[in-house]
Amino acid sequence: MSETVVVAGTYLISYGLIAGYAVYLHLRRRRARS
Amino acid sequence: MTRVRVLLSLAAVAVGVGLWFALTAPPDALQGEYARLLGIHPPSMWVAFIAFGVTAFGSIMWLVKKTERWDRLAAASVEVGVIFTAIGLFTGMVWGQAVWGTAWDWQDPRLMSTAVMFFVYLGYIALRNAIDDPAIRARRSAILGTIAVVQVPLVYFSVNLFRTLHQTQSIRPDGSTMPREMSLAMLVNMGAFLILYVALMAARIEVAKDEAAAAPESTLAGEAVRPPRLSEVEDV
Repeated sequence: MSETVVVAGTYLISYGLIAGYAVYLHLRRRRARS
Repeated sequence: MTRVRVLLSLAAVAVGVGLWFALTAPPDALQGEYARLLGIHPPSMWVAFIAFGVTAFGSIMWLVKKTERWDRLAAASVEVGVIFTAIGLFTGMVWGQAVWGTAWDWQDPRLMSTAVMFFVYLGYIALRNAIDDPAIRARRSAILGTIAVVQVPLVYFSVNLFRTLHQTQSIRPDGSTMPREMSLAMLVNMGAFLILYVALMAARIEVAKDEAAAAPESTLAGEAVRPPRLSEVEDV
């Protein structure tokens, strides 16, 4: 696997985790407000 | 636009700028493209350290003031800190596999102390979820949050105190050991991650406030017995 793919994949997974957490918080807040 | 949305939008722009710096810096002569992980690995661990420091501050303030806001601050900061620690561990393992030839070493003080810190703060989250009474939950997690922070300097200085695969600090009081482009990429991403931390904290605190407002008065013993609100508790 090329270095670029590994680095890009690592960034993608890491930011994906943060984005996933932000979406989770959004859904939890929506549920609390409903 | 709410405060949380403004902060999250600001964080998205900051992360975009950080990514640009990290991905346009020249590749390293020895590590090649893997050196670009500098834009995510150190910033995520630094922010995790700050997050756990904020947790300790919130915990101490709760023990002194006994007001809900400090408990909410401590709990929110742990959750965000654990996310950033997970990213720090993951990116470190990818980097380690590339430049050390191994993703993990069970005898390495830096790696093991970081893993222990990660699991202790996961334990903090588990502890909070295991206790229904808000006053007892706040007190026990405040004690853990105050004690657990001793791991932060231990992890940070483990590279100076012990023999480890991990390099020592790249940015020191007497200057940086890296070329300017790389230091800049790391510092810009540090700023971006700090903004991201503040935005996620604000979002997490709003969730806690909404959930507290939506929660029924009685959660422990039916309608007859109402668990005390934190503001009503003198000492527990």
